[in-house]
Amino acid sequence: MPDMRFAPPNPLRIADRASGLNAVSVRGYNERLVLSLLLQSKDITRLEIGERTGLSAQTVSVIVRSLEQEGLIAKGEAQRGRVGPPTVPISLNPEGAYSVGISVGHRQVEVVLVDFVGSIRSHAVLPFSDAAQDTNHPQFMGAIAKAIADLPRHLHPRIAGIGLALPGDEVELELTPRAARDRFDALQEEVEREIGYPVYVQNDITAAAGGESMFGVAKHLSDYLFFYLGARLHSRLVLNHQIYNAAAAVSFDVGILRLEEEIRKTGSSPSELWERGADWPSFGDAETAWQRHLVEQMKSSIAALKQFVPITSVVLSSYAPQAVCKAICRELEQAMPGIRAMAGNIERSPKAVGAAGLPFSSRFMVE
Amino acid sequence: MRSVLCYGDSNTHGQVPGGTPLDRYGPSERWPGVMASELGVGWHVIEEGLSGRTTVRDDPIEGAHKNGRTYLRPCLQSHAVLDLVIIMLGTNDLKARFNQPASEVAMAMGCLVYDIKELKPGPGGSVPEIMIVSPPPMLDDIKEWRSIFAGAPEKSRQLALEFEIIADSLEVHFFDAGSVVTCDPLDGFHINGQAHASLGRALAREVEAIGWPDER
Repeated sequence: MPDMRFAPPNPLRIADRASGLNAVSVRGYNERLVLSLLLQSKDITRLEIGERTGLSAQTVSVIVRSLEQEGLIAKGEAQRGRVGPPTVPISLNPEGAYSVGISVGHRQVEVVLVDFVGSIRSHAVLPFSDAAQDTNHPQFMGAIAKAIADLPRHLHPRIAGIGLALPGDEVELELTPRAARDRFDALQEEVEREIGYPVYVQNDITAAAGGESMFGVAKHLSDYLFFYLGARLHSRLVLNHQIYNAAAAVSFDVGILRLEEEIRKTGSSPSELWERGADWPSFGDAETAWQRHLVEQMKSSIAALKQFVPITSVVLSSYAPQAVCKAICRELEQAMPGIRAMAGNIERSPKAVGAAGLPFSSRFMVE
Repeated sequence: MRSVLCYGDSNTHGQVPGGTPLDRYGPSERWPGVMASELGVGWHVIEEGLSGRTTVRDDPIEGAHKNGRTYLRPCLQSHAVLDLVIIMLGTNDLKARFNQPASEVAMAMGCLVYDIKELKPGPGGSVPEIMIVSPPPMLDDIKEWRSIFAGAPEKSRQLALEFEIIADSLEVHFFDAGSVVTCDPLDGFHINGQAHASLGRALAREVEAIGWPDER
């Protein structure tokens, strides 16, 4: 019987050094384990990776070296502490991978291209026309193609894929132009065929929660209640980094649609409400009343949940100005001692950025 | 205190380029010495460099004692307990008398790794950390050594990749010395004092990067 120790070597990791990302099939479980850790925390050492994954120093060494060669991670400067040997922190290389995120809302479509740490490299907003008899499909495909074209050509092999966030909420779906809605089921296949990258689909609220977990304020939180303030108020529960996506999630009419209504009642124009990235003017009493309703609803959701899960952290994500979100968080914290409420820090297109995280989690992280 | 064994050939012995095995850099100038001072008081660095050492081959001309495999076992046992074994070999296997491609030299490195894993000279009878270091490639002009090393410079440039493939397959640490130093033009395959300093510093960083939990 031949001694199999001396069969030809079988390296699993340095298979392809040419360029681009290794094929999915060779990215083993241990490698995903290490990447998951790096997607959750910045600047960790090989020793910490070993301690937190249970992998041996030699295995970590091999994986780290191959990920470094692949350009997915980068070593930092050695840090000399007062005691012990200097440590070399390892982080994701922002330039290591890119991803396109698309969110389809009821008023507009947003397309972003983000790097490996979630920084937006390209951003486009496509409004639906009021008379949406026809779709804006050619423009939609054009915006995706342009997001990719904005990235220098030699980096295209580093695009991990396209994430697509689609609304699932019944009320918001009703508001979406019919012609756009009718295409939803076919969209994944169409984009995959026309653009040529794998497309991953997720519910838009779940995607936004995933975005805050991967790139945003919730990076270090394993358990929290996620609120998304859009046209309506939505929520998701995140436990042990896992986002629970109920099939029939409820939403509440205390969102920006409600605020719009309240403002209309006072005879003012609510047009600034739907602009992205702009500060809101003060809407006076209408806004104060709306905010009270909103916080009441959040309070009752948290109170209901607390009967079952000892939740202490709350994240509020929205495309509404951060100042507005922070004010809501402050009010919520005052009303509920023991609760820490944080405004999400993905201000521009949180759903699209979250969608862009999907190809990363599918290709690089453990389930 | 942690112990590291530096197992190598003339470039670990500290042979001066263009000299003989008796022309040697001083203990603090050779890469193991430089590495020792970089690592500091917590480390005991053991030098085991023999001029002409091969990975697994008895040398029909220089003698059977140049075989790195037969000497490895007594060497490991003499110096146990070892936390880390660094092996930098391969150049001498490229001599014309052995007629070996780079891939066979890498297979032989694999043998040494298996022998260490089998002997378990680490703390509590464990397998120590193992680091394969590929030697810096030879220069094209190897002076009067060109017949002995016929065809070797070309093969020496393939060692880094072949060694890395073996290191990955066997899951051990790997470092390419060619990424930080080159051989001295005086003979084309030995490293000079400056290169010893650079290599010692680079390897100290690699050793530290392994990550060492606090000693009990």
